[in-house]
Amino acid sequence: MYRTQDEVSLLRASLEGETAAWGEIVMRYKDAVFGLCLGFLRNRADAEDITHDAFIRAYVNLRRYNLERKFSTWVFTIAANLCRNRLRYRRNHPVMEVDFELEGSADPARTVAREERQVRVRTALNSLPYAYRTPLVLRFYNDLSYKEIGDILAIPEGTVKTRIHRGKAMLKEMFDKERDPS
Amino acid sequence: MTLDARDPLDELLRETLRQDVVAAAESLAGLEERVLGSLGDRLPKRGILGSLRALAAPTRGGRWGQLAVVGATAAAFLLVGTLLSDRLPFSRHEEPLLLGGAPAAATKSVASQSPAENGVLFILPALNARVVSVVGSFSEWEPVPLSDDDGDGIWTTQIPLPPGRYEYAFIIDGRWWGQDPSADEYVRSFGEYSSVRYVGGGGDGA
Repeated sequence: MYRTQDEVSLLRASLEGETAAWGEIVMRYKDAVFGLCLGFLRNRADAEDITHDAFIRAYVNLRRYNLERKFSTWVFTIAANLCRNRLRYRRNHPVMEVDFELEGSADPARTVAREERQVRVRTALNSLPYAYRTPLVLRFYNDLSYKEIGDILAIPEGTVKTRIHRGKAMLKEMFDKERDPS
Repeated sequence: MTLDARDPLDELLRETLRQDVVAAAESLAGLEERVLGSLGDRLPKRGILGSLRALAAPTRGGRWGQLAVVGATAAAFLLVGTLLSDRLPFSRHEEPLLLGGAPAAATKSVASQSPAENGVLFILPALNARVVSVVGSFSEWEPVPLSDDDGDGIWTTQIPLPPGRYEYAFIIDGRWWGQDPSADEYVRSFGEYSSVRYVGGGGDGA
């Protein structure tokens, strides 16, 4: 029933207490929110929990949401705040990070090459400091503008550009060192 | 080193980040049901501004009639509160806010005073504990120690907090204890509960 409705209609219906409409919103945004959380937290179980909590919190606070504002930015901001809290909490409760397993595909040779490439990128990305990693995730996974990233992370747009540029430079530096260890 | 718009690294990053989500697709299946199950019958909170807007909105009965009812109700509560104030087991001006072990209704009414001045008292009965602390969003989840100076097993600390929403938990001899009985609500993350306290009746959940 809700599959074909536009986002604003779904949000209005959710505001009126129609939880099934909120279920459709969750379905539409869960991958994007999860990708963001995974990029922030580097742990799949944590990212799943925060994704769940972000949609709960968004629903409970839905009356504070301005329908004229872009919904994705709002829900990403909630998720980013929860991730930040979780990272602080982790200082006292460290967990094993980076527990991804890649899915196989039909062509083993191509799969191996792709997996190796992704492992290299993932390892390098995860070794970046949080301040550089998170703008890269928001830019290249969530496809957000510099301004939207700045809004979500509460930093100026210029800082976002600098961190993305610097983050990529750091990644390239790591790849160069891998190729030429001397 | 140049970072042009068609940088192959951009595509590598996209591919890798998307693959991580694809790999987790199985565990994300059914998230909608889990979210709706957790929500239960909870409806979005209207908030103070929303309530005021609703109050100010035109109604069939007329706004003045509605305001008169609200005013009369407030006056009645004020009168009852004044009459009962001498019978309360504590004076609101002398005793700090109790977060643990006290009825939630009583703590809420005190919390709405000036917690920044009085401080919020975290109190926990833990008879055989050796070290007790509280961690929360107010301390960036860094431990704040509780003390039991008279050795009666009641551990306390007082923390000045501005109005807002705070998640917290106690750490008793290194063990997480997240369900303070007088918390306003609980949240469950990563398999553990945390308590939530609204100080001063405000706070932004986002």
